[in-house]
Amino acid sequence: MELDITGAKVFFTVPIDVPILGKLQISETIVVSWIVMLLITGLCIWLTHDLKVENISKRQAVAEMLVEMANKFVTGNMGEKFRSFIPFVAALFVTSVVSNLISLIGLRSPTADLSTEAAWAVIVFIMITYQKIKAGGVLGYMKGFTQPIPVLTPFNILSELATPVSMACRHFGNILSGVVINALLYGALAVASSALLGLLPGLLGDILSQIPILDVGVPAILSVYFDWFSGVMQAFIFCMLTVMYIANAAEEN
Amino acid sequence: MDVQGLVGIVPWTFVAQICNLFIQVYLIKRFLFKPINAMLEKRKAMADAQIQDAVKANEEAQAMKQEYEQSMEEAKARANEIVTQAQRTATLQSEEMLKEAGRQATAMKEKAEADIAQERRKAVNDIKDEIGGMAMEIAGKVIEREISEEDHAKLIEEFIANVGEAS
Repeated sequence: MELDITGAKVFFTVPIDVPILGKLQISETIVVSWIVMLLITGLCIWLTHDLKVENISKRQAVAEMLVEMANKFVTGNMGEKFRSFIPFVAALFVTSVVSNLISLIGLRSPTADLSTEAAWAVIVFIMITYQKIKAGGVLGYMKGFTQPIPVLTPFNILSELATPVSMACRHFGNILSGVVINALLYGALAVASSALLGLLPGLLGDILSQIPILDVGVPAILSVYFDWFSGVMQAFIFCMLTVMYIANAAEEN
Repeated sequence: MDVQGLVGIVPWTFVAQICNLFIQVYLIKRFLFKPINAMLEKRKAMADAQIQDAVKANEEAQAMKQEYEQSMEEAKARANEIVTQAQRTATLQSEEMLKEAGRQATAMKEKAEADIAQERRKAVNDIKDEIGGMAMEIAGKVIEREISEEDHAKLIEEFIANVGEAS
């Protein structure tokens, strides 16, 4: 039995070679990202249709609660002046959660592709840098690297760059580990069920051993941790770090 | 079907995911935050309006109360005035009545006195006549002769006058 754990499948390749970027490949990651976006947007539209000021429905109460939670999360951790970040942080969190959890319906999580997390982390890194420059000016930002003594400059630059790398890799690693372990588990359970049912005599054993009966139900137990817990946790950590780094950057100097 | 590397950054996917995130930010802003915030804003405005209405109603009630109290005060003052006026009028009237009564009593007394005096005069005249008659009869009997009645009457008149003055 062979077990193959690979990256995202490529559905379609545009045969034009763009410099640096290479050929445009419509991969599983991109397609599932679109599905995730459609799901989220659909959910938003469903939640907010038919809004009322008084005598609200449960649906509207949920929508209001979500908005209030996002407001509280951002303003509580960053302060009132960062209200404009609320949609960004909310979008980051919900995209991350839905991307992580979409593996539950058998699709490949877009977050199981380092490109996704790298894209998010780079956006966050640009925001952090922008806030730092805004707070201290370009010179202040440059000078910040030579603190507390100029000898530390290379290390400061390294630690600055480590921020997006660690954010991206942390999220990616957690999700990928779930993917790998799930794949291993499915494979192992298929082998186990084949071996178990193969003990049955004759043709019956031959047919039944083709059906990986142990794959039903058992992986769900591990899925509670690797998909549900890890998925929500990593999304939360990513957003928390985003919020913290940006708020700290604005407070510096 | 081609597959990409398990760990690695694919440039196009990277770019696409940046775009996707910003599109998602716009979509979530447009379809979740905008309507909900607008609705919350509306609700807040409504609550504010209600509070303002309540404040206004309270103010109106206060004004009404003040007006009412003022009119009450005025009414009380007016009532007091009326009562005072009435008392004064009553006093005046009663004084008037007392005076009138006094006057009437005086008049009655005077009339009674006049009556009495007249009666007395009449009685005195009667008695005078009687006594005169009697005296003349007695005198006639005493002297057994008729003297001129006129002379006698004169005499008796004098006598009575003296008696009247002495009495």
